[in-house]
Formats: sequence, C-alpha cells, structure tokens
Amino acid sequence: MNLKDLFKPFTAWKNLLAEPVPIKKPLERQGAPRYRGFHKNDLEKCIGCGTCEEICQNAAIDMVPVEGEETEEGDSGLRPRIDYGRCCWCALCVDICTTGSLTMSNQFQWIDSDPDVFRFVPGADEKYWDDEELGYKKPDNYELNNLDRIEMEEMEPEKRNHTFLEIVKGFSKEQAIQEADRCVECGICIATCPAHMGIPSYIKAIRKGDVEEGLRIMYETNPLPEVCGRVCTHKCETVCAMQHRGEPISIRWLKRYIADQVSLDKYQEIMGTDNLEKREEKVAIIGAGPAGLSASYYLAMMGYNVKIFEALEKPGGMTRYGIPEYRLPYEELDKDVEYIKSLGVEFQFNTKVGEDITLEEIHKDFDAVFAGTGLHLGRSTKIPGAEHEKCYQAVDLLREFTQGKEIEVAERIVVIGGGNVAMDISRTLARLQNKQYGQVQLVTTSLESEDIMPADEEEIIESREEGITLKPGWGPKEIKVEDGKVKGLKVIKCLSVFDNEGRFNPKFDQSENDFFAGDMVIEAIGQGMDISYMEDVELTERHKVKVDENYQSSKPWLFVGGDIVKGPDAISAIADGHKAAQGIDNYLSSKGEK
Amino acid sequence: MKDLIQKLKKRFDVNDVVYQKDNQTYLTIAKDQAVSFITHLKDVEGFTHLVILTAVDWIEDNEFQLTYMLNNPGKKVDLGVRVLIDREEAEMESIHHLWKTAATYQRELREMFGIDFPGSPRVNEDFILEGWDDIPPYRRDFDTKEYSEQTYYPRPGRKTHDPAEYMKKKLYPEE
Repeated sequence: MNLKDLFKPFTAWKNLLAEPVPIKKPLERQGAPRYRGFHKNDLEKCIGCGTCEEICQNAAIDMVPVEGEETEEGDSGLRPRIDYGRCCWCALCVDICTTGSLTMSNQFQWIDSDPDVFRFVPGADEKYWDDEELGYKKPDNYELNNLDRIEMEEMEPEKRNHTFLEIVKGFSKEQAIQEADRCVECGICIATCPAHMGIPSYIKAIRKGDVEEGLRIMYETNPLPEVCGRVCTHKCETVCAMQHRGEPISIRWLKRYIADQVSLDKYQEIMGTDNLEKREEKVAIIGAGPAGLSASYYLAMMGYNVKIFEALEKPGGMTRYGIPEYRLPYEELDKDVEYIKSLGVEFQFNTKVGEDITLEEIHKDFDAVFAGTGLHLGRSTKIPGAEHEKCYQAVDLLREFTQGKEIEVAERIVVIGGGNVAMDISRTLARLQNKQYGQVQLVTTSLESEDIMPADEEEIIESREEGITLKPGWGPKEIKVEDGKVKGLKVIKCLSVFDNEGRFNPKFDQSENDFFAGDMVIEAIGQGMDISYMEDVELTERHKVKVDENYQSSKPWLFVGGDIVKGPDAISAIADGHKAAQGIDNYLSSKGEK
Repeated sequence: MKDLIQKLKKRFDVNDVVYQKDNQTYLTIAKDQAVSFITHLKDVEGFTHLVILTAVDWIEDNEFQLTYMLNNPGKKVDLGVRVLIDREEAEMESIHHLWKTAATYQRELREMFGIDFPGSPRVNEDFILEGWDDIPPYRRDFDTKEYSEQTYYPRPGRKTHDPAEYMKKKLYPEE
C-alpha cells in the first residue's frame, strides 16, 4: 500500500459541508419516458393468444378468464395475469405481443405489505397508470414476429389463362419451414376450423421436418388433406393471431405441403392402418363427396364394412365435378380417395339412389346409412329468357366439362353470380374462350357490390388477371332474346342485397340500368338439393333435413350431413362426416348391446 | 476512420469492417493477432479507454464472439474489435495488463459464458452467481425458463389455461 491509497478516503471530507442533494420525495420520482414499469394491456385489442406467457423466461404470466371478456372465434377470452414476484421487466412479452395490446407504463414504485397485490391482470384490475401515455412500447424498428408471409409462387396470368394446369406451385421444404416458423402456436385457429384440425401441431411437425407426424395429425380430423390443402375456405386464417399486425400464416398451403411430401404407398405404414380390426356391421354411404368420404374413412378406421353409392362415375362430389382442375388437379383428389379405398371402403359408381336403387333397399342390406348427397341442382333467376336453351346452369356445365363432354363456349358470355361457383365457371369458360377464339369476352355480374361478394378475394383478383370483366352490384332483369337468339343480359342497379335483419331481400333502382352483350348466359346464383330419395324424413323450417348433434335424422338408422345440412363448403362437410361416423358408431354399438 | 482502417490493414489481418456510425466502427481480427492488435490501438492509435468487453454466443457456428469496445477520447471515436473463438475450448488471452478493469469483465465472462482467461486476476472466483452449479447462464443452450421453473417455487394459487383447450371447453365441449 502506498501513501496515496492511505489518504484517498479523506478526499471525501471535502463534501462534508456541501449542500446535500437528497431526492426529497422519492416516491414522486418519475421513471424515464421509455422506462419498463408495470404492464398495461388493451383488453379490447388482446385476443388471449398466450404468446406473452409462452415467451416469459421467468414463468411469470398465467392466462386467466376475465369477467366481461367472452370466448369467441378469434379470442380465447383469457387475459395475461402477471406475477411481479417473478417478472424481471425484460419486456419480451411486450415485444412478442401478436396484437400489440400489451405495453408497459413507466411506473415502478409501489409499496404494499400484502405480496398478493403484486399479481394482477393488467387492464382488468384497474391501476392508476392504465391511461398514462409514458412507458415502454415495442419499438417500431425491430420485430420478433415475422409479419410477412413467405410468398407462394403462382403461374403468371398470361401462361395460365388458356390451360387447366394447377396455378399454385406449392412450398419448397425451405419455404414451408420458414412459413411454419411464423406460427406462434397459440391455437386460436382450432375453434374456427369446422373440423377443429390440430393446426399448430401439424405446423410444428413441419418445423421439425417431420411430415409423417404432420400427416398423422391431419388425418385425426381430416381425411382429405390434398383437397383441403388446395381449396379449403381457410376460415382458420381469418382468425390467425398474426393477422392483427401482419399477414396470417398460410395454413392451407402448409397443409398441402405435408400431404404433397408423402407418397401414397407409404400412407398405411405411417398411419399404422395396414391391419385394421374388422367389425360385423355394415354401413352404406350415399354420395362420394367430402362428407361421404370423411364418414367412410372414420367408419373404416373403426372397423366397419363401408360401401359408398355414388351417382356419378367418379368420386369426389363437388370437389371433382364443381371445382376446376387448375385449383384442384384430379390426381390429388384421387390420392386422398385411393387411401380411403385402401382401407377396404367399397365404391359403387353410376348408382343414383332413388333411381337405380331405393334407400329402403339399401337399408335392408346395411345396419346404418349416411347420406351426404350435396347440392347439385342449379338455381334459376327465373327472369324472362332464363328458359332459353342458351341459358345454362353453372353446376351443370362444370360437371359436364369434368366428364369430358363437349360444352358450349360462345364468343361472348355473361355469367350471373358472385360466389366461388360463378368464379369457377367464369374462369373455366375464359380458358376455353382463349383456346377457341384467342381472347376472353366474358362479363360476370353479381347483385353484391365487390366488398360483399361472397367469392374468395383471390378468386376475384385472379379472375380479373385472366381477362374476365367483373360487374358487381347489378340485378339481372331479363335475358334479351331476338329472333330466337340470346343477345345479352339486361340489368338494373342493385342498391342493397340484405335487409336490416340480414335477410336476403335485394333492393333495386329501376331507373339505372345497363346491358351486357352475350351469346350465352350462365346462372351461378346458388344450388339446391335433391333429397326426394328420402321419404318421410323430418325437415327443419328451412326445408333441410332435421338432424341432431350426431347427424342422426328422424329415422334412427339414417344419418345425414354435408352441404344438404350445413355449409356449403368442403371442410364443414368433412367435419359432418366425422361426427356422423362417431354418431353411427354410438348408434350401432348401443344397438349391439341390447 | 477509413484512413485508420487502411493503415491497420497493412499491419494486421483486419476483416469484416462495418462503419456503423460516423464515430463507431466494428472489425474482426484473428484470435492470435488480437492482443497485439489491441495493444497497438492503445499505445499507438490513441484508443486508451476500454469501454466494455462482452461476448455473443453464436451457437449455430459453434463460436463465441468477443467484442472489445475501445474509445479514442482525443478523436471521440469508438472501435469495436471482434474476435471469434472456439466455443468448445472457450479460452482467450487476457488483457488485464493493458487495463486493470479488464480483469472484472473477464471474470464476468468466465462466469456468464464459461470463457476462460488464464492468468487474469481472480478469474475463477464467483462474481455475482454465488454457488452456481449449472452451465453458464448466458450460453444459449441454457434453458432460462426451465431453470426458473425448477428453482423458484410457484406461488400458491397460480393457475393458467391453454387458449386452445379453453376455447374447446367453452365453444365445442361435446366433441
């Protein structure tokens, strides 16, 4: 030790008489503007996804029900409760918050002898700092979530507008893993999916590079993954936590990725279905559409002998005869069907129940019946001229085109309808016009203005890209016929489609009109069902078959599902088929016990 | 700053130069040249102040990155000297002979990352983690959450809900 060190402590003596600088009221001392103090949560913005809980490295956050916050689609109704005995104020929860609802105040002083007060739900348990502006918020210049989708490659409009090759190319392994990496695994989407698919679990399987596991997870709730991976209405994506500040996860394309990676010959081995235990009972399925295929799959998995009666020559229902090949190639549909077939499900095609065989005849040979015959009858506008032979139904044309029949393609066409079927027929005919005439002259008009058109947004965008003229917001008045030939469609302005109670009740302005020239007119305004083969079955007020929660009709052996009960969409039909299969199993099992 | 870098490049293997701001530059130098490089910066180029010595765990590359942040008080510029070292044999020459404060940083890095600085005073003594018996906590393979769950007893009365399970219970319990 030297002398300097010895005297150093005494240098502090010089402060002995200095003015003291205490903080007079320490509890009023303000935190810095961006100080990380007690949390604030905008309960309206928060969806209860629990990502804050997931990222918290101190396990300081619990997701708890909060009075006034309802559980509904897109919102779990839970809100984060923070234990400040554990919180280290790192703010990762604020940075990762999918909605941006969670922030921090700059308040940090709070003294209490009761430790339990330091565990509360920000936003719900009111605090004086709730409305204060200052405090930490996620900075704009960095982002823990990947807000942007991995772009899906598609065939360019000028290449695809004359071919029926599939437009969407699908993800590569690298792209799929990157897209899967965007998922925060909150599971908010599961409730919205009609089939309640294990979406976060199969996305996680992609991230781990285990597509076989992904396939197993998908088949727990959906035996048509190639179909749904392409044409599902993907309601799940509308509630994805990521869409609050960015783009939702491409759930549909990820599903397709898994199914595309695994070849059919490996399915049985992966799923462990090469040796299913058989049961005695026989179940008949009417209609080989998504509902019937789904029911048959789950029944076959339970060991039942299943036979499907199908009116047309091939399976798939609307997914084959309605949806064009550029959206769903037949070979992909066939892959899903072939696997179901490989489980022992029998198919009898070209057999229309009610014509070739009666329901009662089927009932004699089978212990239970599931009917999912879908909506295959086109509805007419019934306007003057609609009875003309050059006025067609979209579903008929789509079916005939799939069957390989020659269909009429006029040089100028008018399509009436604003849903996906209208888009399907328009885009199919536009392709054929391009082949035949080298150009597209096709007008598609709908009652609905563009903002409420029922067609998927991408269908609308892609239709335009393919040269189709969309005329939303017009009501069909008359098909103009001169000298026995169709000349086009007269329309009047549609002011509103639904009344105040949300019922279909269009209002028109007769004084504003237009004319769309065309040599043929297609109606695509909705479909009806033919259930004349079901006799003495109780119907609902809306003339649908009355079923209970197991899809059991008023005849105990008859279960009914799919578009004729709900929907119309494939995923709802698949969910119906699954539930009906469980209902049939309950019914037959309890019958066996008697 | 660019002139200085050009000058340094003549004598040392200077790589990956990043001109971060007007008064802040980063560069990377090989492990075996690092201490003589830093000595040169201190004694010849006026970087007399060690602002901080810290590390990053690049676990994917199996490397630690040491960053020596040096300041030239005369020119009011910072130079960040980055040195990549092997993660398995995490060891680096000490610079406590250049700055006494370096010993404290090195002791901290020894404790938090498990990087050894042989010869550095008190480098193996506990710094802030008294009685620590796990892997160094700033290594990225240290699972902070698991550690907190095992070490800190949950307060009684805590209960959480999984959003997906809770929604099933509320919205479609029958399935």
